[in-house]
Amino acid sequence: MAAPLTRRQFLKLAATAGGSAAVAGGLQTLLAGGTASASGGALVTSANETIVPGVCLLCSSGCGILARVVDGHVVKLEGNPMHPINLGALCPKGQAAPELLYNPDRLTGPMKQAGARGSDNWQPISWDEAVQRVARKLSDLRAAGHPERAALMHGEARGQLRSFFEYFMQVVGSPNVISRESLNVAAAKLGVYLTQGVYDLPAYDLENSKYVLAFGASLLEAGRVPQRMVSGISYLRRGRADRGKVVVIDPRQGVSGAKADEWIPIAPGTDAALALGIAHVIIRAGLVDSDFIHNYGFGFEDFPDDAGKVLHQGFKSFVLENYDPARVEEITGVTATTISRLAGEFAGNKPAVAVLPGKGGLLNGSINGLYAAMAIHTLNGLVGSIDVRGGVLTQRYFPCVEWPALPADPAAEAGRALERVDGAGTQFPLARHAYQAVADRVLAGDSLEALFLYDANPAYEAPGGARFIEAFDKIPFVVSFASFLDESAQYADLVLPEPTFLERYQDDAIEGLGYPGVGLRQPVIPPRYDTLNTGDFLLRVAQAMGDPVAGALPWKTYDKVIQYRLRGINTDWETLKELGVWITPGYRFARRGSEKWIGEVVGRDRALAPRDGRFDFYSRELNCLIGGRTTEELNAFGLSQTGDAVFLPHHEPVTDAGDPAEFPFRLNVITLMSLGPVGAAANMPTLQEISGMTVGETWDSWLEMNPEAAKKLGLRDKDPVWVESPFGKAKTKVRLVKALRPDVVNLPYNQGHTAIGRWAKDRGVNGVALLTPASEPVSGLAAFTNTRVKVYRG
Amino acid sequence: MRWSMVIDLDKCVACQGCSIACRFENNTPAVKPSEALKGRAVRWNDVFPMPINPTEVTGEYPNVQTRYLTRPCMHCDNPPCIKVCPVQATFKDEEGLVRQNYARCIGCRFCTVACPYGVRYFNWHVPEWSVETLHDFAWQNRTSLPLPATSVPAPEYANPDRIEGEGDLEGPAIRPKGVVEKCTFCVHRLQKARARAEAEGRAFRADEYVPACVQTCTGKARFFGDLDDPRSTVSLLAKSPRAFRLLEDVGTHPKVIYLREW
Repeated sequence: MAAPLTRRQFLKLAATAGGSAAVAGGLQTLLAGGTASASGGALVTSANETIVPGVCLLCSSGCGILARVVDGHVVKLEGNPMHPINLGALCPKGQAAPELLYNPDRLTGPMKQAGARGSDNWQPISWDEAVQRVARKLSDLRAAGHPERAALMHGEARGQLRSFFEYFMQVVGSPNVISRESLNVAAAKLGVYLTQGVYDLPAYDLENSKYVLAFGASLLEAGRVPQRMVSGISYLRRGRADRGKVVVIDPRQGVSGAKADEWIPIAPGTDAALALGIAHVIIRAGLVDSDFIHNYGFGFEDFPDDAGKVLHQGFKSFVLENYDPARVEEITGVTATTISRLAGEFAGNKPAVAVLPGKGGLLNGSINGLYAAMAIHTLNGLVGSIDVRGGVLTQRYFPCVEWPALPADPAAEAGRALERVDGAGTQFPLARHAYQAVADRVLAGDSLEALFLYDANPAYEAPGGARFIEAFDKIPFVVSFASFLDESAQYADLVLPEPTFLERYQDDAIEGLGYPGVGLRQPVIPPRYDTLNTGDFLLRVAQAMGDPVAGALPWKTYDKVIQYRLRGINTDWETLKELGVWITPGYRFARRGSEKWIGEVVGRDRALAPRDGRFDFYSRELNCLIGGRTTEELNAFGLSQTGDAVFLPHHEPVTDAGDPAEFPFRLNVITLMSLGPVGAAANMPTLQEISGMTVGETWDSWLEMNPEAAKKLGLRDKDPVWVESPFGKAKTKVRLVKALRPDVVNLPYNQGHTAIGRWAKDRGVNGVALLTPASEPVSGLAAFTNTRVKVYRG
Repeated sequence: MRWSMVIDLDKCVACQGCSIACRFENNTPAVKPSEALKGRAVRWNDVFPMPINPTEVTGEYPNVQTRYLTRPCMHCDNPPCIKVCPVQATFKDEEGLVRQNYARCIGCRFCTVACPYGVRYFNWHVPEWSVETLHDFAWQNRTSLPLPATSVPAPEYANPDRIEGEGDLEGPAIRPKGVVEKCTFCVHRLQKARARAEAEGRAFRADEYVPACVQTCTGKARFFGDLDDPRSTVSLLAKSPRAFRLLEDVGTHPKVIYLREW
């Protein structure tokens, strides 16, 4: 292979070989306007190249990827065309993933803190030593009769991993596997649970919808499955003959609002009122699906109690009484005319869907958010869009082979029956997880002796994250599995890095399409450093602990666990590795009232209320949980209503964190397509470079503010400002954005890190640190949107 | 063949996937923050709001419509850039691709000025991906931490593809400082596809090749093909009433065709 000529060599060559004539000749061609080809080059490419499939993990979409591996290096990622979420496409985060794999700030091996917590005095240890230390800690806890004092907090635990963690901790004897979902998707999940009786995010058949009413949290950028939404909306618009309409309801226009057919700015925290105003018009106009509401719904009309004595108020009369468009206009700032028009469009263009924000964000405020999620999802019930073409689908999963029976082990049985350390199900009656509350409860005296953090960085990502550093002081043993030394790992005793998603085995349950599917991560190259898959690590810990723990976890490696669990999917492991994805496309709708309807679609997950296949317009589950409480108790839950209203979707005024007179703006922490929700992405230079595309910012934070609001404060575009809440303050620059309500300001998420790496650290501000650390008393949701701030020149 | 790209702005969601697919396909370096602030970031396909300063958007709240544009090289049929190049470093090939030969470029930057679309990028620095280049603030002294064994002098993940010969260097090839670079519609991918067809002893078809940005487009907003073939998707879409070209009146005859949102 001849070495290419450099420009300098070329000029040198030209000068020595009478090149001046050649240059003159070139000029002549130029003057004659010629475009003679100057290319004499030949293609040089790699000889040794393989394409290996995997699944991205830079957001929660779970897009299939194909890695081009040249001479052992990953040089390019493409979308896997066989993967139904992204259909061959890949967003900038996935495209930039080589910067994650080859990031210079990755942790290169297990290490222990040799000095005081947070002293940054790390010493490398061997994996054997790490296994021994963790095994000894867990064995000691079991011997002391307190296995419940071990807890695992996790973020994205994809595929079998979440279930594996639960099984592992149950075998050890702890009920404490705590998901981050109380910071994001739990609000929407609970809304669906309390109405449809399914504890999951719904899938939406956007490809066949005529009308999409998307509430809150930018669905094309920040949802649970943004790439799925992009694929669906793209098809709805131009992939078929009749173009559907997309309406985005959000205080901020953002990219989703800009790309929608209509953007409806709404007063923050009033989504419930708008949904119920729309319901009011639909009911009054007689546009409801009466077969659905009467035969497969509960509580639409007023109904007598079991004894037949008391008449309960149903959804219809409640909504007709309280939510006429004129009143809703006062609450939401959306005009009565618009409300009526939206109602007519929604009910008149079936199939239509009302889409919940997959990022809890805009829903999580006070208890208000829970009712908003119920109200939004109830719109789907009203027009009969549950489990129909173009409507709401219920996500199905591949049946997994059950875990082996838990060993007879009285110590473990006693431990896992105890109260969870996050208070889910006890302090927070409706909660399944209360991630952010762990710090409060530990600081208030709950005993925790070993804490494991998997894709969990509560010190950064939870409101009031600093509390976690204090709480760690009360926990003698903190272990992080982070691949980068993040804000929480910095204060751990052991950091046991997991390889990136391009270097490990992990399956992935495909979400967002309704039908079941599995994606597979595999090492597209061997792990670059001395890292270990957390699943592999826990299996080694189990072996080191001896029976009964070891006996319950007999697998040698985590990929064997995946194979065990996925035996039912009807493909062999090698084929799955080769394709990277396995699906059974085609969603099968359930006939209303059928066995499948009752077993899978409506009422499936109800714990207390009847699983009778009826969609609750009046939430019986909520009634079972918090019914019969006194007015004082209800007030303590943040409820202003009493009686039947408590169990009906309704608008609760948001409880402000911060006095509106002093703090005039509501703070909204927005997730960007560029930086996304994963902390390590902030340490990828390419994503930093493109982070602020919408306002022309790069490598920094900014505060979005409406120009009229800024004018009143005497602020101009790009002025330095302080953003101050009752919980903290931060200095950044203000950027004026017209398409934003004047009473809301936005800070992008995933800047302002104090750790992770050279590019993430000390750059911009973390808006989450300004939010109220409170948890919503019924649902245990973190309060993300009720914090108020003031803004002044910095 | 006459290669052309159609971008449907009604399907584009301004995700910037195109921009970054291009970066990793063509080895354009991330620049340090201070350089990015000067507008010296090298992204052959850039995505930005229109107008570029959001405060200049017409309309008042709430009647404001933000717009975004994604912009590769237009591969003009009548490209002003090649006319001003004194050394024929940039040229239009027989299939209408406007290409750039780094080996001939003398870095005079006439072309960057002549291009009305701003798609030509000058290498102000030695393209390095190393710690030092990108890292213009103090790297904390954390010697106790196990650091990677090698600091990376050039990216391990660089695409090795390039077009190379006597006095010729094109495509994803690592560029020296002081030359201009630009979108090539991934000309190396075209050549690879041709080579594959040849190796398999068959005729090359236009649908065997798309640039990286087209392949990755999340909204499936991009179409690519042969404008000389009246049945190709791009030819059909070019006739859409929604079709327009950027700065049509300046006579450049772009082969990137947009479809407006409405």
